[in-house]
Formats: sequence, structure tokens, C-alpha cells
Amino acid sequence: MPVKKYLLKCLHRLQKGPGYTYKELLVWYCNNTNTHGPKRIICEGPKKKAMWFLLTLLFACLVCWQWGVFIQTYLSWEVSVSLSMGFKTMNFPAVTVCNSSPFQYSKVKHLLKDLYKLMEAVLDKILAPKSSHTNTTSTLNFTIWNHTPLVLIDERNPDHPVVLNLFGDSHNSSNPAPGSTCNAQGCKVAMRLCSANGTVCTFRNFTSATQAVTEWYILQATNIFSQVLPQDLVGMGYAPDRIILACLFGTEPCSHRNFTPIFYPDYGNCYIFNWGMTEKALPSANPGTEFGLKLILDIGQEDYVPFLASTAGARLMLHEQRTYPFIREEGIYAMAGTETSIGVLLDKLQGKGEPYSPCTMNGSDVAIQNLYSDYNTTYSIQACLHSCFQDHMIHNCSCGHYLYPLPAGEKYCNNRDFPDWAYCYLSLQMSVVQRETCLSMCKESCNDTQYKMTISMADWPSEASEDWILHVLSQERDQSSNITLSRKGIVKLNIYFQEFNYRTIEESPANNIVWLLSNLGGQFGFWMGGSVLCLIEFGEIIIDFIWITVIKLVASCKGLRRRRPQAPYTGPPPTVAELVEAHTNFGFQPDTTSCRPNAEVYPDQQTLPIPGTPPPNYDSLRLQPLDTMESDSEVEAI
Amino acid sequence: MAPGEKIKAKIKKNLPVRGPQAPTIKDLMHWYCMNTNTHGCRRIVVSRGRLRRLLWIAFTLTAVALIIWQCALLVFSFYTVSVSIKVHFQKLDFPAVTICNINPYKYSAVSDLLTDLDSETKQALLSLYGVKESRKRREAGSMPSTLEGTPPRFFKLIPLLVFNENEKGKARDFFTGRKRKISGKIIHKASNVMHVHESKKLVGFQLCSNDTSDCATYTFSSGINAIQEWYKLHYMNIMAQVPLEKKINMSYSAEELLVTCFFDGMSCDARNFTLFHHPMYGNCYTFNNKENATILSTSMGGSEYGLQVILYINEDEYNPFLVSSTGAKVLIHQQNEYPFIEDVGMEIETAMSTSIGMHLTESFKLSEPYSQCTEDGSDVPVTNIYNAAYSLQICLYSCFQTKMVEKCGCAQYSQPLPPAANYCNYQQHPNWMYCYYQLYQAFVREELGCQSVCKQSCSFKEWTLTTSLAQWPSEASEKWLLNVLTWDQSQQINKKLNKTDLAKLLIFYKDLNQRSIMESPANSIEMLLSNFGGQLGLWMSCSVVCVIEIIEVFFIDFFSIIARRQWHKAKDWWARRQTPPSTETPSSRQGQDNPALDTDDDLPTFTSAMRLPPAPGSTVPGTPPPRYNTLRLDRAFSSQLTDTQLTNEL
Repeated sequence: MPVKKYLLKCLHRLQKGPGYTYKELLVWYCNNTNTHGPKRIICEGPKKKAMWFLLTLLFACLVCWQWGVFIQTYLSWEVSVSLSMGFKTMNFPAVTVCNSSPFQYSKVKHLLKDLYKLMEAVLDKILAPKSSHTNTTSTLNFTIWNHTPLVLIDERNPDHPVVLNLFGDSHNSSNPAPGSTCNAQGCKVAMRLCSANGTVCTFRNFTSATQAVTEWYILQATNIFSQVLPQDLVGMGYAPDRIILACLFGTEPCSHRNFTPIFYPDYGNCYIFNWGMTEKALPSANPGTEFGLKLILDIGQEDYVPFLASTAGARLMLHEQRTYPFIREEGIYAMAGTETSIGVLLDKLQGKGEPYSPCTMNGSDVAIQNLYSDYNTTYSIQACLHSCFQDHMIHNCSCGHYLYPLPAGEKYCNNRDFPDWAYCYLSLQMSVVQRETCLSMCKESCNDTQYKMTISMADWPSEASEDWILHVLSQERDQSSNITLSRKGIVKLNIYFQEFNYRTIEESPANNIVWLLSNLGGQFGFWMGGSVLCLIEFGEIIIDFIWITVIKLVASCKGLRRRRPQAPYTGPPPTVAELVEAHTNFGFQPDTTSCRPNAEVYPDQQTLPIPGTPPPNYDSLRLQPLDTMESDSEVEAI
Repeated sequence: MAPGEKIKAKIKKNLPVRGPQAPTIKDLMHWYCMNTNTHGCRRIVVSRGRLRRLLWIAFTLTAVALIIWQCALLVFSFYTVSVSIKVHFQKLDFPAVTICNINPYKYSAVSDLLTDLDSETKQALLSLYGVKESRKRREAGSMPSTLEGTPPRFFKLIPLLVFNENEKGKARDFFTGRKRKISGKIIHKASNVMHVHESKKLVGFQLCSNDTSDCATYTFSSGINAIQEWYKLHYMNIMAQVPLEKKINMSYSAEELLVTCFFDGMSCDARNFTLFHHPMYGNCYTFNNKENATILSTSMGGSEYGLQVILYINEDEYNPFLVSSTGAKVLIHQQNEYPFIEDVGMEIETAMSTSIGMHLTESFKLSEPYSQCTEDGSDVPVTNIYNAAYSLQICLYSCFQTKMVEKCGCAQYSQPLPPAANYCNYQQHPNWMYCYYQLYQAFVREELGCQSVCKQSCSFKEWTLTTSLAQWPSEASEKWLLNVLTWDQSQQINKKLNKTDLAKLLIFYKDLNQRSIMESPANSIEMLLSNFGGQLGLWMSCSVVCVIEIIEVFFIDFFSIIARRQWHKAKDWWARRQTPPSTETPSSRQGQDNPALDTDDDLPTFTSAMRLPPAPGSTVPGTPPPRYNTLRLDRAFSSQLTDTQLTNEL
């Protein structure tokens, strides 16, 4: 019951309206608001009134504009960076070492026998075409040759280039002795790539025979190795005890058992020190060579695959724990017969992520399936790009490339099962569209870590010490009293932290919500001396305004319908007391002396007039006449 | 009445021109303090008691002072920058790569120009150190013996001198064998700190100005430096007279230098390289230069997607006295940058594969008024004599070259020619060497003012390089590789290549991460204003409106009240002079100083008090005045005030 009563009361109150007119409302607002401008509008002469009105309006516009600017700045998600550098105990970087040659030639010879013979014949043909070519060709295996043959393009007549097959008898070439007339001056070696059963062919041109032969050999070798089981490939690479001869971390001795093996198609067996996958990562608490990693490696240069690895040296890379080493892209060489010292500085950039920059924290929001997730490594953009390429490869050529991991249920490309793969692969590799799609699909990781290296080299072992060092190393590895190692094969590596071992650049939001609020407040305060409460005041006034308008509209509608003059009163007719209250409510009554704030101290003065006679809006009316009277008198005075 | 006048009258009626409402300054102040929105002022007026009032005055003034101080700090710190570092993984433009052979010209091609100089150098070496020619060289050039009879040109120009430590001021001209007295200053190129071994013999040379009275002698601690410097001076002098086309022909061609070239998985050749003739390094070749239509870019990191070249370094053609190292020089730079190969080039060894991994860092600085840098060099008062974009080094060299032309009358050989100048040589400028050395000393000591005039440029790209070496070709592949490379080069070279004739170079992006270091203004006008607003609001709850109020009250009203006073005084004085014994004036004065109306600053009352005859307003209190309340108010207020004062005093 009381609730119903209360609701009814509320309804009546709503129907009655706030009890004052627009003008009263405005004047009251201007007079009582804490915002600085409006007060001036109502309490002075008309000229000043106009001026103050314009000023207030102008300032209000300025405030709105500046607020817009600030909100826009806030929504641009800018970041500020803080840089810190110094030395601290940090995890020693993971060190991946590989040999430049993926396999020991002695172990893969049986696989590459045919290819080797073919290659020798090709070189013979190119270098000395006149020498006997009939005796060798008989023993060659032409199945791999015919798949992607090398051709000579005779460009001495630029309008009409002649294509000559190196082994003229095996293909449709009219020239009986193809290389005989052509001696590098006008001839270029090219690779013929065919697809769709040899009907669509393109020539991949090279400006030098060296490149052509190398590329051709790599392509053929890829075909051969992709048909070998992965565990067999691991067996053909360098064993850990063969490659890692000595290891010392700080003062702790370590051995090849501290290295995690990983098979990397480009470089065969690679070994990672301190990867942090199974055991805790090792920290280093001191700068300098004495507290770093010292390695002696044997690269066994004489056992290199001659056409696959023309550069001799150890390949190494420093990377973060639990990241996959993309050693082909980011690795460096260490030369045999030298001591390479590498000072390390960790350069880390920590991004803020969405919405500040378009980077990804862990790669979960990237549309490409990470093929390197089998290694249990963290996301990196290189992994994404490689996965993307393999994805395209499988989509276009229906087989995966040997250099990248395979998704489940797919096979590596080889000539037998996928005769078009070479053509398909090379066109995909050259395709700019493919690269750009991958670049746009992959997001960079928010944490960008680089190891900045300061590399210096010296000859090692020195002439004086060479003898005993080689002796000891040979003894240790092969248990032989003879020297089985040579200066051309051994590499010494020192990896250590520099005096300043880290430089961290951290992003933080440049503009936070506190910044925004204080600037909004500053602007509002600067132009108009306002605060949030002023805004609430203003909102209240607007609600009142709407209320009055609605009531007026309702009333006029009713009046139109009933055609009764008493229309303004909706609901039950008001009592006299209510009417009086509506007009004499001094809370809303503008006072002529309103410029004096202490007028309110004496409110009882207002109630002095006899309440019986209700002068409608007397006070508010009085405002105008007074002014005109004044001005009249003024005019007269002047 | 004309319509214009009507409007005028209306305006006059509606917007009358009136002075300030307050009759006196005290009233004005009172009115301002009571009505202003600024906090503090009001406290001064309403506080009871002198101490409190004083305190409030002190607080208000402190607040004002604090605001002014803080705002001044804000203004002074307006031009600060904030730095942001961003990483982008994107397709990157490949930089321009300039490759030169360390030896500028083929020795066989320039030997006819240099025969005299070389034979004299050999003689000097023979007599100074007893150096005999190596067997290999002798068969290459068999001319020195024939030149015995001809008079030495070069020793006459700049004699090589041998100094003995124990006899100061004397030197032996080794060619003539005469001892001669050395006057003038001796400049030891070997500074005293660097005395490695106390050699008794010092070798040097003397440079004299035109009239040979002013000489400077340069000595070196080692004969190697002395002979090389001496050789270089003569070499530059000879080369300065050779026309450019001839020099280009004497140097290496692109086909000769570049055996193979591979970029981004595609073959490239000499056509992808543009010639750039460097005075000290001969023909250099720039890959991916701005003259190409499109700048090549890489969208993959890693060595096979970068530039791979094999260079042919023919050591047999090396000049034995000019260069003492073998290899090539490489410089990675921006397309529009001038390659300062002698200053920042990197050396490449033969029989090695040099991999250079790059990381790109871009930096942008804000120019004036944030820092002293220049966007394009147009605001630097040094004309750029290089055909390249502005850089600090270009500015310094241009400045030096301009000074050189000014002072010595000719241009230094290793830098480009400014307009209307030619290179120095002995025929036209016999004493240029001395002048050059003097000027160079002044330049190094920053006496020429070049360092202060030249500004750094605002944006630059930097490639951080990680260089590593590996043996190439490997033992296993050496045989076939050299054979095929010989076949490739058979057009240019008719000899079997040796591995020490070749150098492999790989330049690639390690990854496509590009770091941009950008400066941006830390403050904007909006920020400044909102900071002002914050300060004003914090200390006094003030705003621009308050400032306008202050201007209005303190500057306009204040002065107009004073002016009105003076005007009235003047008017009164005038009136008194016109009619000396007048009764009207005191009454009007009385009206003005009417005590009843004095404190009342309400507008109409005041005006009426001012303008109307005093009689009706003051004498008839019976008539109900409309401002009844206000009058009472004031009275109440003043009485209260006196009350408090009384209590305070008690």
C-alpha cells in the first residue's frame, strides 16, 4: 500500500512538472552554477551580457574541441619507451652449433654416387667440351638428368638464341657437339624446368655457370635426401662426439652430452647448448671470457660434400631458450684455424601488444598453423613464415619441401612421386605474391630479442702450440697417437657476456586514463573553471528542460482536444498553496541582487510579502523593466 | 527622423554606454573580491580580523606566485621530445652496396704514368734501407735501370730527408747526399708519446711555400709511413692531371671485378651495378643505386635472399707503393647517400667468404626548435659539392674543399670539384702541398669553423652489421669451383684463377625487423593549456574567465574610474571658475559621496545617486525603494563588520 501511495505521489509530481518555466530555469542555472562564464551573463548590463554570452559560448566550444583532440590522442594508443641497460645475472643464451656441410661425404657417398658422376660429366662438358664425351656418358644414370637438365643457351646471336642440351644425344638437339662452339663468351648455362609431363617448360637462367651448377646440384640432392628416412639422415650427419671436442662453461667442464641434438635439413646435425628444454637454463653471473662458454669444434673439412658446401666453417647462432634456431637466416660463420671470440649483449624489446601495436604475445592469434610447435618452442615470426611457405607448397605442389617440417599426413617432394615439384617449388619461391601474403599473415612477436655480437678473431692454434694441441685432441677423440686432426678443421669459440650484458627497451602506454582525465579536467578548468559536478548540473538542467517541454506538449495536446481554457493544469486542479509555491519558491527565484551571493543569507526577506496575493512571476518580470528604467534614466541623464 | 538615427537611438537605448558601476576603487575591489570565481579573494574580504585577513592575502599571493612559477616552468619545458622505438616486420628496401677494389688502377695500365715516380721510390728505398727489388716485380717492370741518367723530378719538388737524432736541425738530403740546415718548424707526425723504438734515423720531407722561406718539415717514426705519404703526394699530383675517362679505362671494369652475382634468388650481373669513380679507389660499383628505376627490396631474411657476389681481386696488378693490403672495400649505404668509402668502408679478405648480416635501424630527430639538426641541408651555409643527399660528412668535406679553393686556389684531389675550380698540381700550383697541409691542420683543430657550421641531419638509416668469416672455397670443393669460375671469367681473364684472387661476399638482412627510433614532441599546445588549467585550478580555481575578469576589473574599470574622477574634478574646477560662488557644486559632490549610497554598488541606486538630484533619493525614506533588501543587507553587513572589529579589539 505505501508503495502504491508513493508511486502515485511520484506520478503526480511528474505530471505537475518541476514547477518553473524555461526562463526561470535558465536564470537559476546561470546564477548558481560553478562554471565561471554563465554567472556573468545574467548579472550585468546588456552590453556586457552579450559579450559574456559570446565568451562563454566560445569557451564552451574551445573546451569541446580540445576534449575531442585529447580523446583522439588517447585512442591512438601511443606508447612511450623506457630504456634500461647494465649488467645482471642472466641466463646464458642458447648456443646452436652446426657444421657447414650437412653430411659426412663418406657416409652419403652411396646415395650421391650417380649424381656425383653426372656432375663430373657436366663439368667436363662445360669446361672442356672437346674432350672425350662418349666414354663417360655410357655409365651415367640419365633418369635424374632428364628430369631437370642443364642446358647451354647460345646468345651470340641475340635475336635467335640457340638452346643446346649438354648431353646432345639424350635429347632432341640437332647439334652433335653442343659445347664445342660455345665457350662462356656468349653462352649461359640454364636449368630447364618442366611440368605437366614435360609439355610446359621454362628456363631458369643464370649469369654464371657456377651458380647454375650449384643450384642444379642442390635441387637434385634435395630430391635424393627427401626420400631417405629422417633417422637415417641423422646417422649420416656428424656425431656429437666427432664435432664437439672440448667444452668448458665458466669453470664447469661440459661435454657433448650437454648439447641437445636437433636435425636441421640445411646443416645436418646441429647441437644446442643450454636450450632449457629439459633442464634449467644455466645462468652466467660475470662478464668476460672466463665465465662464458669455450668450445673446440672439429669441422672435418676434408669430408665435406663437395658440391653442397663450398664454404668451410662452423655455423653458430645465439638465441633465447626455448626458441627454434633459424640458423640459415640468422647464423654466423666461425672460421677453421682461428679462435673466434664473441661478446654478447642481449637487446630486448618488449612490446605492449594490442591495441598499442599489432604484435602477438604467443602466436595463438595467427591464422597459420605453426609447424615448429613439435619442437615445443615459442612462437617467432620466422617459424610463421616458414610454416606459411610450407603451407603454400603443400597447397600448390601437393608435397612438402625438404627444408621445412611436414604437417601431419603429408609427404616430402621427390622426383618419383611428384614429377612437377621442382618447377612448382621454384616458381613459388620466386613468387612475390606468396611472400607478401605470408608477410601480411604473420605477426611479429611482441618480445623481440636479439643478441648483439662483437666478433673478433685470432689465429689458433699458434704455431708454437699447434703440435701439442692437435696431439691432445686427436688422442682424446680417436685414441690414436698420430695427429688425426688438422689446422683446417678445428675451430675455437669463446662466447661470453660483455660488460653491459642487457639493454631492455620496454614499451608502456604513453597516455593512460588518468592522463586523459587530468587533461580533460585541465582544459575544462582552464577555459571555464568547471568540473564533473558542473557537467552533472548541466545534465540536470537538460532533464528539467525536457521535462518542462514534455509537460507543455502534453498539456497543449490535451488543450487542443478538450478545448478548455484550464488545460494547463493536468491532473487534479492545484491548490492555492501549490500555485504559490510554484511561483515563490525562492530556491528557484531569481533575485535582482543575485550578483551578491550572500543574498541567500536572508531568505526570510523573500517570504515577507503576504502569501495570499500571488503575483505571477513578479520577480522575473521585474528584471526587464528595471533595466529599461535604468537605461531610460541613463539616457535622460546623458 | 532618418532610419539610421532611429537605429542609433535604439542602440543607445538598449546598449547604453556607461562607465563602471563602482564609484570608487575601493568599492570596485570589494565588488570584485566578493563576486569573482577565484578562490581566495573572497576570503580576504569576508575574513574577520586583521591577522586572518593578512594570512589570506599572503595565501592568495603565494598561490598567484606559484601559478606563475609553475606556468613558467611549463612554458620553458615546452620544447622537449619523447622518444618512441617501434619494430616493424616488413618488406625492406635493400641498401645500396658499393664495392671497390682496394687498388685503384691496374698497375700495367698506369705504369707509364708512374714510371719515373716508381723508379725514384725504388732508388730511395735502396739507398735508405737497402731494399732490393723482389724477383716477381722485376720481371713485371724492367724500366728503372734505364732511368738512371734522367734528372729526378720528384726529389727536387719534395726532397726526402733523413734526420739524425743527435744532430738537431740538420738533415741529409739522401739523393744529393748533401747536408742541409733545416729552418722553420719540424712537425713530427710521430708524436712523442708514440716512441716505439728510439730510432736514430728519422725520415721525412719538407714542404715549402712559394718563396721557400716558410717551410714545414714532416717527419715520421717509420720509413713506411714517410715513403707512402711522400708517394701519395706525388701520385695525387700526377693523377690530378689525367682526364676522368682515361682514369675509368685504367681501372677495373664491372665485368672484371664481379665474377658472379646473385640477388634474392635471381641471377644478376654487371648491368645491375652502376659505376662510381672514386679518386682514391678508382672504379667502384654500386649495386641497387638510385639510378635504377626501382629500388630492390627483400621480403625474406637470410643469406640466400641477399646479395651474393664473388669478386675478382687481381693481386698482380696492385701498385706496390700506394696500397699495401689486398682485398676489396665494401660500403653499405642509402641510395641517395654519397659513399665515403675511404672513411667508413669495410675491408674484404681474399680466399674468404665474408657474410654481413644486417639489421636496419631508422632514426628520426625533430628539427628546430627541438634540436640543432637539418632536414635536407638547405639551411646550412655550405654548398654541397657532392651529387648526393646532405650528410654531416658531406658538409664537412664541402666546407673544407671550399676553403681549400679559397686559400690555395685549387681543389684537393680526393674530393669532388666545386664549380669553377680545378685540381691541384705542381704545374699550376707549385706550393699547394704546403697550403693543403696547413689548412688540413687547421681543419683538424676546428679552426676553420666547418665543424660549427655543419649540422647533423635529422633522419638517418643505419645498418648494424654482423660480420663473420669462413674459409671459401672449402678444400673439398676448391677444385671444381675454381675451374668453373675460370670458365665463367674466361671472357675477361686468360689465366687460371687462384683462390687468393677471389673473395666471396654475402650481404643480407638477418631478419626483416626494422627498428624505428622516432622523436615526437612531448608537449602540444593542448597539453600546455590543460596543464595551465590544472595549475590554475589547483591553486586558485581560476580559469580564463577569471583572467578576463581581472583584465576587465583591474585594467579597464580601474582606469576608467580614475579617469572619471579626474574628469569630474576637472569639470568641477571648470564650473567653479565659471561661477565661483556656486551652491550647486557641493550638493552634487555630496551626492557623489553620499554615505548612504557609498557602499551600495548596486547599479541603479548608484546611478541614481550619481546622476539624479540628491534630494529625492536621500531625503525621502518613506517611499518604498525597490532595493529595500539590498540596502538592509549592506547595513547588516557593515554593522556586523564593526562588531567583529570591536570584539577583536577587545
